[in-house]
Amino acid sequence: MRTSSDELRNKLKLKNFEVKRKFAKKHPSALAFLKEKGLDLGSIRKHSAKIIGAGALTGTLLLAPPIEIPSLPNPSEVIEKIKLDELVGLSPQEFLVSALNQFLPGKVRPLIRDEEKKLEQLFQSTINISVKGTLEGEHLNTTYGYIGAEQHLRRYPGDTLTAHGSGVILQEGMAPGLGAWGYFASSKTDLTPDLEETEKWYAVVQTLYLPDWEKRLPYLRNWYKYRKVLIIDVENGNAVVASIADSGPAIWTGKNFGGSPEVMYYLGGPRYKKGKVLLFFVDDPENKIPLGPVEYNEINLPEISLFKS
Amino acid sequence: MSKIFYDHLISFTEIEVQIDRVAVNKEEKEEMWHLVDEIIHHKVLGCILDSLSKKDHQAFLEKFHATPHDESLLEYLKEKVSDIEDKIKLELKKLSKSILKEIS
Repeated sequence: MRTSSDELRNKLKLKNFEVKRKFAKKHPSALAFLKEKGLDLGSIRKHSAKIIGAGALTGTLLLAPPIEIPSLPNPSEVIEKIKLDELVGLSPQEFLVSALNQFLPGKVRPLIRDEEKKLEQLFQSTINISVKGTLEGEHLNTTYGYIGAEQHLRRYPGDTLTAHGSGVILQEGMAPGLGAWGYFASSKTDLTPDLEETEKWYAVVQTLYLPDWEKRLPYLRNWYKYRKVLIIDVENGNAVVASIADSGPAIWTGKNFGGSPEVMYYLGGPRYKKGKVLLFFVDDPENKIPLGPVEYNEINLPEISLFKS
Repeated sequence: MSKIFYDHLISFTEIEVQIDRVAVNKEEKEEMWHLVDEIIHHKVLGCILDSLSKKDHQAFLEKFHATPHDESLLEYLKEKVSDIEDKIKLELKKLSKSILKEIS
């Protein structure tokens, strides 16, 4: 028999209680130390967020990359470093992948502001989309991380999986619960083509772990709802503009973002379940940039055409 | 930003799938995520304290309290216990299995 939601929660509560009890029994002095500092291990993430937040306010680069990791070079430096004969015949996408390979640290980590600025310039010049790591003062915990496959979201009461398309795109199934912002429309008739696209090309980001999420909930909830982001797989350069429609994944999954079945299919094909990506806010105040795949090989920007045969 | 120095060692994807399958709403899902998160912190800290000699407990806890996000804490621990990373990974693997066994 399948475990119900209540059963699962109770089992986790029991396990949680048991693990805490054992810890307290085995390490009473550690527990006393933490208690004295006013720290409950269950709130360690909040404590961490406070410390990092305070560091950001005082200008301390608590999240700066370790000293041995060099910060990223300028886009112009990258271009200079690539040998000219290697550039001949490169498509914009090949060029971007090559540049990102040289730009990014191999190990995923939060990028510092200066690194994000350089990437913003690189995306503007290759993909021709204006993106920001920080938009209107808002910034995600990281812009460089792993994306994982999500399921389809119910768009209105009574929505069914088969109404989301056909074939391989239905394999992930439908999420049993709703997205963080509930239904997209109150009924099937209220589902506009725009909202249909929003669910089709949706992204998941860890708003729940933002340090000020609870404090600024009404504002941030509204600000993040259907916010456009550009997601780029750093290994193949596939890019998609998506819309934030859910919160997650859990921090202990090793993933930082999620993508709808359509987003994931476009980024890496039918077997793509996890990938290394960059995720930036799209600066689109006039709502002109459509959701979906970005076919930037078709664009012919002067900056790029310099490198084409 | 919320980060703990051992976050990159955790990958409990199967537990996530189980929770996703049954959680009926976002609040419930996040409550269960938090319960798992708390379990992880107690188990990992327990594993670290079990591995460290008693005399090093205080110094480590001071550092952990001051900068729980700092990945150099792992380097600090490696100086004391060379295979600490493997020990934490093993602890997490055992924990994932045990949670899955209980909730499946």
